[in-house]
Amino acid sequence: MAEYPAHLVREHRLFDGRTVTLRPIRTEDAPLVREFLNVLSGESRYMRFQKWVHAPSDKLIHFLTDVDYDRHMALVCAARHGDHEEIVGEARYVMNADGKTCELGIVIADAWHRSGIAGLLMEGLIQAARARKFSTMEGLVLAGNAEMLHFVRALGFEAHAVSEDRRTVRIVKKL
Amino acid sequence: MKKIWLDSYPRGVPSEIDARAYSSLNQLLERSCARFRDATAFSNMGASITYGALDRLSRDFAAYLQKTLGLQRADRVAIMLPNLLQYPVALFGALRAGLTVVNVNPLYTASELEHQLADSGATAIVVLENFARILEQALPQTRVRHIVTTQVGDLFPPVRRALVNFAVKHVKRMVPAWRIPGATDFRDALARGAMHDLDGADVSSEDIAFLQYTGGTTGVAKGAILTHGNIVANVEQVAAWARGTLEVGTETVITALPLYHVFALTANLLVFVKLGGRNVLVTNPRDVAGFVAELRKTRFTAITGVNTLFNALLNATGFQEVAAAGRGTLKLAVAGGMAVQRSVAERWHRATGVPLVEGYGLTEASPNVCANRFDSREFSGKLGLPLPSTEVAILDEHGKESPLGEIGEIGVRGPQVMRGYWNAPQESAEAFTPDGWLRTGDMGRMDERGYVEFRERKKDVIVVSGFKAYPAEIEDVAMLHPGVMDAGAVGIPDEHSGEAVALFVVRKDPALTAEALLAHCAKHLTGYKLPRRVEFREQLPKSPIGKILRRKLKEEAARLHG
Repeated sequence: MAEYPAHLVREHRLFDGRTVTLRPIRTEDAPLVREFLNVLSGESRYMRFQKWVHAPSDKLIHFLTDVDYDRHMALVCAARHGDHEEIVGEARYVMNADGKTCELGIVIADAWHRSGIAGLLMEGLIQAARARKFSTMEGLVLAGNAEMLHFVRALGFEAHAVSEDRRTVRIVKKL
Repeated sequence: MKKIWLDSYPRGVPSEIDARAYSSLNQLLERSCARFRDATAFSNMGASITYGALDRLSRDFAAYLQKTLGLQRADRVAIMLPNLLQYPVALFGALRAGLTVVNVNPLYTASELEHQLADSGATAIVVLENFARILEQALPQTRVRHIVTTQVGDLFPPVRRALVNFAVKHVKRMVPAWRIPGATDFRDALARGAMHDLDGADVSSEDIAFLQYTGGTTGVAKGAILTHGNIVANVEQVAAWARGTLEVGTETVITALPLYHVFALTANLLVFVKLGGRNVLVTNPRDVAGFVAELRKTRFTAITGVNTLFNALLNATGFQEVAAAGRGTLKLAVAGGMAVQRSVAERWHRATGVPLVEGYGLTEASPNVCANRFDSREFSGKLGLPLPSTEVAILDEHGKESPLGEIGEIGVRGPQVMRGYWNAPQESAEAFTPDGWLRTGDMGRMDERGYVEFRERKKDVIVVSGFKAYPAEIEDVAMLHPGVMDAGAVGIPDEHSGEAVALFVVRKDPALTAEALLAHCAKHLTGYKLPRRVEFREQLPKSPIGKILRRKLKEEAARLHG
């Protein structure tokens, strides 16, 4: 069992005044992650998995929440409503087979688009990936997902056409 | 931008059309009805109606909708009919009453129908009795209050009508039992409408003529908003392209593609009504023997279809004789909706002496965007030249115009391009670049003569005989089955339909069979979306982070297929 990287926990005040917590995911987050994925719009879920995910399976939830913080790191953004904590966004990397590079994935609750949390999550994720000494971070984005492409370009990613598959764009950032 | 394609236009075809030639489709109809009153407008199974009859019947139906039902301007009326004489009557009736038409595929399942009726907010529907049972199941979740049912023979002469309606119901048993309280018979509706005056609806080019539904990437169909102005422009564009080929008052076109699809609606029904021609409506082209028998009896000058349909005709017994007899009469054969195979085009040309002319379009553009020259002597293998008053650009990944010869997304501007999608502001915004180009989702290039070539599709969409099937919708349905853990749908090449659906499945229940899964899918998906092939796997190919690698699935599907 990997140790919880508590030093990555951060509180943030957003420009609209709301406060959120960024923290590495925990196995106990399983019900919150399930709820998060369940309320995502079909569109957002499709962008994340690039296929239809009707209701997240136990296997998927396990994969998403049981991470080793080394080869697989996930940060969640959580908002508090009284006693209840709600996950409103998450970003993660998974090491590629070469051991030197990693693939990223990010998804934000529909109601939290343009709140600034995507930038905070990516900032945290990139820092963690640098600390882990990955050389590059890359990802696959649907070519039609203009919002995401615009967002990652602003973070210094380069977009490359995938020659065998024009439906997806490969985004790459040297760390 | 320079419209380089204009130099490749045939003589006599203008570079611009008058997009305001008619204030509305209603005016287009009224002018044709006045000018060609005694000419035959539509034929079906040996029965016909003249332009005069079309004028009277559609007026009566409009008065029924407006006065008896009290429908208000811009209310939505769904039409769920195959190609029958009732279709143009219902269509023009709704438009003349100032209403918006929602075309519905009669082969839809209850859940597909329910979505379309609920999303469009339709309050009335005209349905062929054969499909009333499906409607009955979908109704509770919709706002539909007025139902008009019709039987196949309703506009046939009395004796035939009785015979056909009896045969369909009691001999062929094609009408599943249904019960919808308050449903009105089509003939009854016409009789009641005849007792009322019709108030002029004063419809303008800005009014919405159609909410024309088309698939979406997440599997939910969206309604393209097409105004009277959009459709009038596209009719004018096609008619301008046909100058020198088609003439006023003498043409007969074979309409075998369904009129609920925008291609046949514009290219056949509306263009030929403008020209005062005759539409021969083929109700069930899948009955190829019956189709060929119909063609044998008909002198026709034009035909439209998709690759699948031309291929089926060429392979049908007796078609060669039809083709030989039609030499000198047939002037134009147009294919759209899906890529045309060179082999089919060449066989068609040899059999009929007329080349198969390919066109390109999409629902969002009413639909015609490009066409090959109607006077071309051979198959080009290209999508064609942009139509008059149409701009086509190849867009780079930033949505900007690329230099000539580059591959990029095909973008379209012109008076035929939709306003957006109904009730979907986000998707509407994403459909256009900031410069106003409609993103087609098709990747292609333009050559130095201005011909547009298709390369591949940008979105995950499978095109089956010109109909769009989105993997998300098929995956969603498959995963509703309790025995399915995961599912991925991709297109596989198919010699008849261009593409077909292949479904890869990870089972939860090891005893699940392909037959059981297909039976489940058939309850939720209309025929063309059904998987042609089901493959069971231990897992689906995914990237480390869990994104499905569709390209790998496609490669695997292609290997299985080859």
